[in-house]
Amino acid sequence: MFERRLYHHIDWILIGAVLAICAISLAMIYSTTGGASRVYTTQVYALGLGLIAMAIALSVDYRSLADKSHWIYLAMMILLVGVLFFGSVRGGSRRWIDLGFFNLQPSEFAKTVLALTLAKMLGEERRPALTNNDLFIAASLTAVPFLIIARQPDLGTAVTLLPILLVVAYVAGMPMKYIYAMMIVAVLAAPVAYKFALQDYQRERISTFLDPAQDPKGAGYQQIQARITVGSGGTWGKGFMQGTQGQLRFLPVAHNDFIFSVLAEEQGLIGVLVALGLYFFVIMRALDAARLAKDRLGAYLVLGVLSSFTFQVIYNITMSAGLAPVKGLTLPLMSYGGSSMIATLASFGLILNVRMRRFTN
Amino acid sequence: MAIAEDRRRLTHRLTVLRVAIGVAFVMLACGFWFFQVVEHAQFKEMAENNHQRTLTLRAPRGIIYDRTGKLLVENRNSFNISIVREHTKDLDRTIRVLARVAEVEEKIVREIVDRHRREPSYRPIVVLPDATLAQVAAVTARRLDFELPDVIVQEVPTRQYPDQDMAAHLIGYVGEASEDQMQSDGVTTGSIVGQFGVERVYNKLLMGEDGAKRVVVNSVGREMRTLEEVPPQQGRRVQLTVNYAMQKAAEDAFRAYAYNGSAVVLEPKTGEVLVLTSMPAFDPNDFATGIDRATWNALNTDKLRPLQNRAIQGRYQPGSTFKIVVATAALEEGLITPERTVYCPGGATFYGRFFKCHLAGGHGNVDLRHAIEKSCNTYFYTVGNMLGVDKMYKWSEKLGLALKSGVDLPNEVESIVPSTEWKHKKYNERWYPGETISVAIGQGQLSVTPMSMAVMISTVANGGTRVVPRLVKAYDEGKGWVPVTPPPSPFAPFLMKPETVAAVRDGLWLAVNGQGTAGRGRVAGRDVAGKTGTAQVISNQGKERARGKTDQDLRDHGWFVFMVPKDNPEIAGAVFAEHAEHGYFSATVAKHIIETYFAQRDGLPLPVLTPPPPPAATPVRVAAVTGPGGTD
Repeated sequence: MFERRLYHHIDWILIGAVLAICAISLAMIYSTTGGASRVYTTQVYALGLGLIAMAIALSVDYRSLADKSHWIYLAMMILLVGVLFFGSVRGGSRRWIDLGFFNLQPSEFAKTVLALTLAKMLGEERRPALTNNDLFIAASLTAVPFLIIARQPDLGTAVTLLPILLVVAYVAGMPMKYIYAMMIVAVLAAPVAYKFALQDYQRERISTFLDPAQDPKGAGYQQIQARITVGSGGTWGKGFMQGTQGQLRFLPVAHNDFIFSVLAEEQGLIGVLVALGLYFFVIMRALDAARLAKDRLGAYLVLGVLSSFTFQVIYNITMSAGLAPVKGLTLPLMSYGGSSMIATLASFGLILNVRMRRFTN
Repeated sequence: MAIAEDRRRLTHRLTVLRVAIGVAFVMLACGFWFFQVVEHAQFKEMAENNHQRTLTLRAPRGIIYDRTGKLLVENRNSFNISIVREHTKDLDRTIRVLARVAEVEEKIVREIVDRHRREPSYRPIVVLPDATLAQVAAVTARRLDFELPDVIVQEVPTRQYPDQDMAAHLIGYVGEASEDQMQSDGVTTGSIVGQFGVERVYNKLLMGEDGAKRVVVNSVGREMRTLEEVPPQQGRRVQLTVNYAMQKAAEDAFRAYAYNGSAVVLEPKTGEVLVLTSMPAFDPNDFATGIDRATWNALNTDKLRPLQNRAIQGRYQPGSTFKIVVATAALEEGLITPERTVYCPGGATFYGRFFKCHLAGGHGNVDLRHAIEKSCNTYFYTVGNMLGVDKMYKWSEKLGLALKSGVDLPNEVESIVPSTEWKHKKYNERWYPGETISVAIGQGQLSVTPMSMAVMISTVANGGTRVVPRLVKAYDEGKGWVPVTPPPSPFAPFLMKPETVAAVRDGLWLAVNGQGTAGRGRVAGRDVAGKTGTAQVISNQGKERARGKTDQDLRDHGWFVFMVPKDNPEIAGAVFAEHAEHGYFSATVAKHIIETYFAQRDGLPLPVLTPPPPPAATPVRVAAVTGPGGTD
């Protein structure tokens, strides 16, 4: 299964960059949780498990994996529905399956599974351009997990499925007119959605984003604190474990959603630029894998997993600076979260997988 | 071909994605640069405000002693329970829980919070000043449970007056600074400053300097560590001129006989105030942690006006004590000699009107000494008529009876002695010579404070040279006691003729030790010289109307002014008793003060107040009209 010569084609540079981000993550979690806490050790284990998942994901040929994608997809959907009924509840939503030693969050893996499914479906087509039928099926495949996850409720994670559909459909040749049409619909539908589709707390988040000062104690609090955290870091930062905003808990969930703010506070603009550079490098390097991929399946698979990753990175970092409404979206590879770490590393395993097998038949 | 086209499209669209992502990252980098470099200073300050608190460490006020080193005012530690709204999520809930835990009425807590609503939210609002230990324990326990994270307990030094209401008007009280005081004293809101008496006048000395502690707090307001601490500087120790034993003697005497009034005793040579009392008094401890509304209202609506400092704010007719001024003026002006005699048949006619002497049968031929001794009205009608009202005023002012004494207490009122100019200014009327006759025996429109009276008798005791009464003997700035040098007297020094001094002293000595009216002031072997006086509460015409009424409030007030020992007075003063009818009772109070003074001076046991006679069963009827000049 794993030929020896493939070993030479493993993209060690990408792995190095990913691990560098993981190292920053561990340092920041160590800092915000005040030392070698339980949170920190959990993250270390998750990193170990993630590396194993990555090794597995890259050793199985992505094409044979794609051949079984409908089964994997089905299994995933069953798992997600199962969570709705049997999952454990935390913070008002049912997202986790309690495995005793570990709380598994299946929705994190759903992204990778969806990417694989869509890549298989759109990549195996022999027609030169996408038909409306193809698009409809792809959209339906996305809608199922989207709706289930949104029911948990975890709108943040559900939304990360959308970039997968959009990007894969886009590179698969979705006509530009659809893209323009979608943009127009999005602009027009936004106010309507704001009014009717969103929950009160979601509306509140958006309105306080536009003017955080209107409720500095409530919903605007996190946003104001995020900006203070970032801004007070300055060029050089306050130093490792010297941050006041994160350390004294003015910024909530510092080790999770707002870990990048703490990085900005303690390591300053320098640390921010290094981290941004690493993420940018990882994304560009992975895009290379898509360009180099031997077939459309490989390219779409890379783009699928990468699109959700990139969306989350950009959104979370924007939010960390207080420039986007606060959503429960973590920063992949950096925020605390075992499932996310394992799923993300596994998806990078798939990217490496595609690049590694670009010469094989 | 399809494959190639496919490839081309993929490459193209990949490039679009690359550019889009690149733009996003550049924008992010710019955003961070803007916050972290351009706006860094502002956010840095906000972060510091977030986690750094400057707590005020209240400085204990200076300790106050009497002239013998007896402690008059000290400090104790009390606990204030406050709400810091900064980290409050639900103020309503905090108020509710706090009120329940501390077992106080929710409404009261809410009112206090409302009153301070507009202050910055990091400033603690003291809702339970001087909390009990049970309240402190209850709140502290809830705080540890994070049930009341926004409630803090602070230990603060608080004023303590061990002798409660003793010398209350002299010592004064403290309270939260008003808006004006924040300006004038340069203090912040919530500062405790002197509001009355010595506490107010010497606030700068007594207040000390508050310290500050800069601490790091976390998001729920818990103190994590101290960054910097400037310890508070306690206020200066201050030694008053007042004599504890004498002050107590005065107040005990008033209380024993259930009279209200005032006593002021000075050291005539220096102007140091040995006794300054005003009865009834209040307990300054009630003010120390913020007076509650009920107590405040009670003090303010009390008909006896316990908050008034009668010694400098109460004005009364001097009655016969004014004869001292008339005698001095006539002698100094050279109008009479002490040997000058006047025949008293029981009154005399001036300007077509008969003025009575209080002794119906008359005193016969009296010289000045005996006129003072017996308080002969006829003598002083005659001499006063020779002087005229303006000369009497001139000497009243010279001796310190008119206008203000200048004592270092706030809100002193001017003592009034009439003059032609005064009447013209006040009523735009000319002076009628007949009025002079009444003034000569201390009636008519004279209205003087006990303090002025004490200054007047001190000036006479000094044989001239009017002093300014003062209250502070020394203060300690940390290097031992520094005596306060009195500021130069604003009054032109003058000396009375020796024969004037001798004659007046003799007259006063006779009044106490001879056949005079002030026999109750006599102290064996101490040569007390003094004079009683009666201040009419209502005019004789008023008495006519009030005839038959038995209201005690219509009874006349009684004065006693004194100096002792006669030939070289060490103390001099005035005792004023409300509705005591005559000066006899005042002389009794003075006697107790004088005995206490000498006992303490000579190291003897302090005198014990002889128990008072049983109080009269029925209020005394208002005396029948005796015509003008019904004085003793």
